[in-house]
Amino acid sequence: MTRFTTIGATLAMTTALAGAVSAQELRMTIWSANEAHLTLFNDIADSFTATHPGVSITYESLPFSSYTTTLTTQIAGGNPPDLAWILERTAADFVNSGVLAPLNDGFMAADGFDYDDILAKPTELWRLDGELYAIPFSTSPLAIFANNDLIRAAGAPTPADLIAAGEWTWDNAIDVAAKVAAADSEGIIVRDFNFQTWQNLAAIWRGWDAAPWSADGATCTFDEPQMVDAMTFIHDAIFETGATPGPGESVDFFAGDAAMSITQISRASLLPTGDDAFDWDLVPLPTGQAGDYAVIGQAAIGAFQRGDNVDLAVAFLAHMTNPENSAKLAQFFPPVRASLLNAETLGATNPLLTSEMIDSVVVDGITRGEVLPVHEGYSEIQQVVRAELDSLWQPDADVAAVLSNVCQRIQPLL
Amino acid sequence: MTVVASPSELSRRKRPYWTMARRDSLAGYVFVAPQAIGIAVFVLVPLLLVFWYSLHEWNVLAQTFRFKGLENYHRLLSDPGLPEVLIATAIFSIFLVVFNMSLALLLAVLLNQKLRGITVFRTLFFSPVVVSLVAWTIVWSFLLQNNGGLNGILDHFGIEGPNWLRHPTTAMIAVVVVQVFKNVGLNMILFLAALQGVPKELYEAARVDGIPAFRQFRRITLPMISPTVMLTSIITIVGSLQVFAQIAVLTQGGPGMSTTVLVYYLYQQAFEFHNFGYGATLSILLFVIVAALTFLQWQMRKRIVFYEN
Amino acid sequence: MKTDLSPRMKIALYGLMLILLVPFVFPTWWMVTSSVKPISDIFAFPPEIIPSRFDFSTYGQAFELQPFAKQYWNSAYIAAIVTGGTLIFSSMAGYAFARIDFPFANTLFMVVLIGLLIPSEVTIVPLFRLFLSWDMINTHWPLILVPVFGAPSVFATFIMRQFFIALPKELEEAARVDGLGRFKIFWTIALPLSKPALGAVAIFTFLHSWNLYLEPIVFLSSPEKFTLPQALTQFTDAYGGAMWNIQLAAATMTALPVLIVFVIAQRQFVEGLAHTGLKG
Repeated sequence: MTRFTTIGATLAMTTALAGAVSAQELRMTIWSANEAHLTLFNDIADSFTATHPGVSITYESLPFSSYTTTLTTQIAGGNPPDLAWILERTAADFVNSGVLAPLNDGFMAADGFDYDDILAKPTELWRLDGELYAIPFSTSPLAIFANNDLIRAAGAPTPADLIAAGEWTWDNAIDVAAKVAAADSEGIIVRDFNFQTWQNLAAIWRGWDAAPWSADGATCTFDEPQMVDAMTFIHDAIFETGATPGPGESVDFFAGDAAMSITQISRASLLPTGDDAFDWDLVPLPTGQAGDYAVIGQAAIGAFQRGDNVDLAVAFLAHMTNPENSAKLAQFFPPVRASLLNAETLGATNPLLTSEMIDSVVVDGITRGEVLPVHEGYSEIQQVVRAELDSLWQPDADVAAVLSNVCQRIQPLL
Repeated sequence: MTVVASPSELSRRKRPYWTMARRDSLAGYVFVAPQAIGIAVFVLVPLLLVFWYSLHEWNVLAQTFRFKGLENYHRLLSDPGLPEVLIATAIFSIFLVVFNMSLALLLAVLLNQKLRGITVFRTLFFSPVVVSLVAWTIVWSFLLQNNGGLNGILDHFGIEGPNWLRHPTTAMIAVVVVQVFKNVGLNMILFLAALQGVPKELYEAARVDGIPAFRQFRRITLPMISPTVMLTSIITIVGSLQVFAQIAVLTQGGPGMSTTVLVYYLYQQAFEFHNFGYGATLSILLFVIVAALTFLQWQMRKRIVFYEN
Repeated sequence: MKTDLSPRMKIALYGLMLILLVPFVFPTWWMVTSSVKPISDIFAFPPEIIPSRFDFSTYGQAFELQPFAKQYWNSAYIAAIVTGGTLIFSSMAGYAFARIDFPFANTLFMVVLIGLLIPSEVTIVPLFRLFLSWDMINTHWPLILVPVFGAPSVFATFIMRQFFIALPKELEEAARVDGLGRFKIFWTIALPLSKPALGAVAIFTFLHSWNLYLEPIVFLSSPEKFTLPQALTQFTDAYGGAMWNIQLAAATMTALPVLIVFVIAQRQFVEGLAHTGLKG
């Protein structure tokens, strides 16, 4: 009897859905155009449409550099996607504005979703009063890739040597980088920083316990001593020791140009093979003056309130991030599920990484990492800070003075 | 039927309603209608709306549109970034116009010489005009990298080039120069046409009088081509205030705010920071500047232009 | 100024022009040659003038990373429509303002000229909202309507008016006596005579549309709607890192066809521009 009603209900739903063909298209905006990513996403979509006849799912790749602007234009233009990737730095804007659909009920109701498996700390950013508005599909710890060939050639100890000796500190890491830089390669790169995306420097300054603003986001803390120390350290690394390349220089670690690169582990796919291959290693961030720490970058998926098929979108999102599919996604995107955070599961999908790398970098990073800086109105704050920091990237810059200017400029925006 | 009509009646009867003049008027209106209606819809109405929007704040994500009175104008007056933006805009426009006009004139004079193969040179000098603007700018952004092509060439001559796009002064020079090389060909051709339009007899006479070449240029050439110079300078100045793509690709307004010109700032505020109301307020500022400059030049035209046909 | 020059003077002038040519020609040369270099050679120091190794794979990759062919088509057809539309409407308006005597002609002309004072950058915010309310965001309509009817077409109208004013009236007078209508006169007599001006307007308008950058990035939000200038800046990997050699290949494909057309038709190009009536 119950079985019949279920079938009846399904049939009724199917016909209802089939009647409104246009109502069954789901569109998700993403910023990856990587073919391997898309193949996996399409597989996941197929497994969803197999149980939801008449539904079609498309992924729209928008260029990363203007992703948020373009997405906002779509929303403003009355044409929001049903689902969208959201970058951690704009989390506050999206979560607080009320454009995203609440997810708790839909997720708890979804079969096999196992809501309690989702870690609390790495999803904090995406919650408002306990309600989840977007689910992180990629929680990527920042770590250091090292080119051991270059480091040994310069006669310096490798990060692994230093870790074994219990001496993996920022001071020693920079010494290694400086030695390699002196030997005609480049030292350490903060990938994608390019003297623009300053928030990536959090990978360093968190080691000094520095932050751009207070935890409640109301007070600028760029001018506090920890930040001044950390930025002085970075400034010296650029202009005194040459351990990190200066502004306007294009250097690619994965082309074998540099000793180390701070980046997300998913970049392992860029490591060269064949003739260009080198002996590489993946290690956690060194100990800073304030001790051990970890920093993560995040990307989440949210469903838009104003879409035509909000419930269907949430259902698909639950499907995409259920334990089974999260495990598949884990080969590119580290998950926030407790059940998946172990060397076995992650090792199976990330053959490049050793179980030691996974434990020390991935598992540890995700469980205790601090997310990169976030604030409401991020794009404006980002630009203003970027503009002020430009005067820091000069050999004779007065670090404390520049940072106090930064605070003067952004305090009104906080 | 045989009644003889008075002369006035005759003319009235023979002149149909659609006289030549009336038909002309109608034709005139029909001819200008698309343009005039277009200007009304896509220029004049939006212009009025800019004022209206500058009194509001529009949150695109939350979809709210709120009246804020003069708040955006207060912000305009107290915006700590705005003085820098206005200074950058002024420096950019002045340098651009001066460099563009003098280089265009120099090239036009060179191309006006009787030399074999001069059209090849003309074609090459003009070629950047037809290269896609963004492609041109992207190429320069490579050449101007610290380890890019320009410093590579300078290195050849033993000169250590600056980090072009990372210093306020050199970054400004870079955006001006890249823009000038891109577009100077247009003004060059207009000047060349003007030079070729100067009656040869004037030079003949001057030569007979023994006036040296440089003074011929100042006394004859410049006055004769001054209407062209005037008009191209208006177009170049107004054009310099619209430069956007080059800044967006080369410097993104940096370093600091040193190359953030008004249009770029307006775009950032409205479409990146989503302060649409404030963006509209900045649009009004831009409009006032363009209008004032054009008016000023129109006034100066009367005093400076020696010769007008 | 056209005097016969001494041989020494000639050599000096050639030398000067050759030096001046470098910044005009080298960037294009570098773009084309670098687009076929492997990525490691792009930043070779000192730069290679002639590539030593070739890698053409970037040309294919440009089409894989973005719907580049579609974007190429977008730019081309928008530029064609804008150029055609501007030619029709600006020559009509320019002719009327130059030749036809109708009430309020001068007032209307002043109103139209205001368009010169209001570049579309000024009105971009309200235009965005207007097109939003007309459901035209993320369509090509704004990129066609604004240039054809808005501020950018005013310059074209101005050029056409100047040209028609300078055209001898006699030909038309004769036709008018024969009873030809205004439109017939415009179409069969005035327009064929105005080919140089039309050519100049076509070049200006095409290049303006082809280079449009602010409007596309404001109005368009899906890659298959993008135009070339916008697409060129978007060759980045999934984290925003630029893919230099692919970007250069795409830039070359964007620039070369127009450049080749120009070289073939450079005489008409340059002489058309010289006849824009910008002499006062």
